[in-house]
Amino acid sequence: MQTRKAVQKMFNLKTIIMDLENIKAQMRKGILEYCILSVLSRNSCYASDIIKELKEARVIVVEGTLYPLLTRQKNAGLLSYRWEESQQGPPRKYYELTPEGQKYLADLDKSWEEIVESVSLIRTRKKPKTSKA
Amino acid sequence: MKITVSINLGGYSFNIDEDAYTELKRYLKNLELHFAEEESSSEILSDIESRMAELFRSKLTSFKQVITIEDVNQVISVMGTPEDISDDEKRSAGDKFSTPGYHRMYRDPDRRIIGGVCSGMGAYWDIEPWTVRVIFLILAMIGGLGILIYLILYIVLPEAKTTAQKIEMKGDPVNIHNIKESVKEEFNTVKKKMNL
Repeated sequence: MQTRKAVQKMFNLKTIIMDLENIKAQMRKGILEYCILSVLSRNSCYASDIIKELKEARVIVVEGTLYPLLTRQKNAGLLSYRWEESQQGPPRKYYELTPEGQKYLADLDKSWEEIVESVSLIRTRKKPKTSKA
Repeated sequence: MKITVSINLGGYSFNIDEDAYTELKRYLKNLELHFAEEESSSEILSDIESRMAELFRSKLTSFKQVITIEDVNQVISVMGTPEDISDDEKRSAGDKFSTPGYHRMYRDPDRRIIGGVCSGMGAYWDIEPWTVRVIFLILAMIGGLGILIYLILYIVLPEAKTTAQKIEMKGDPVNIHNIKESVKEEFNTVKKKMNL
């Protein structure tokens, strides 16, 4: 029993120490979710339109990543969708922001600006030349 | 000449080569396993299918009317394998599925002679089931002890029925990759049997 606990602890520790790849992946994921909402804030789109924009902006690598995110955002009440007839083929699913989603996006916009500001402040700060004059 | 199959993908109908069909089916099955834990997995899958249908449509012309294995592979590389998709969730998903790496003793129905007890023990310790069987036989000859132990184990040990249990029996961590491998293995054995 004790060994199992120790092993569990080690695993926890392993997940706490994030390596670079993981940090990058986490950043990408958060940014991707933010970008999806931003794309939809302009007008309602169907999935392939969203994909096109995300690909142009190079925030998405494989398309399959988008669909679980859309469904999760929809389940969280940020998005809703309606079916729309299309000239070629079966009806398409058009996604749009719900009022809640708009509020959420406004919050995200604000925190994004704060993050950018804080990071650029720190990154552009000059190295102090001499600490002892 | 190749046999083609007719399928309905995302509301479009396609003619697809048989080998391409097998590959596509395998891919969709893998995705299904991957999203099995999601709340609305069927919705995600149908969205993905619609998108794939669109990509396939763009590959067809009046000169090319059949989906080939190359098309399928290309579309899969655009959509991404379950591993690519879970790129950012790898850690959390990996934790959920494989950290304990359960190793439990089961009865192995695939290699059994009587009840699968010896084959299960063999799988557990990664030794030949015959080694275990011989030990049991010797024990059985000494006052029937082996028979008694066998009966008790038969009652106590559950049979490894699901793929996940079969993986646990061998002590590999249970994750999508392993399940996929073992399903593939099973598929191959069945295929071999059919050819015999």
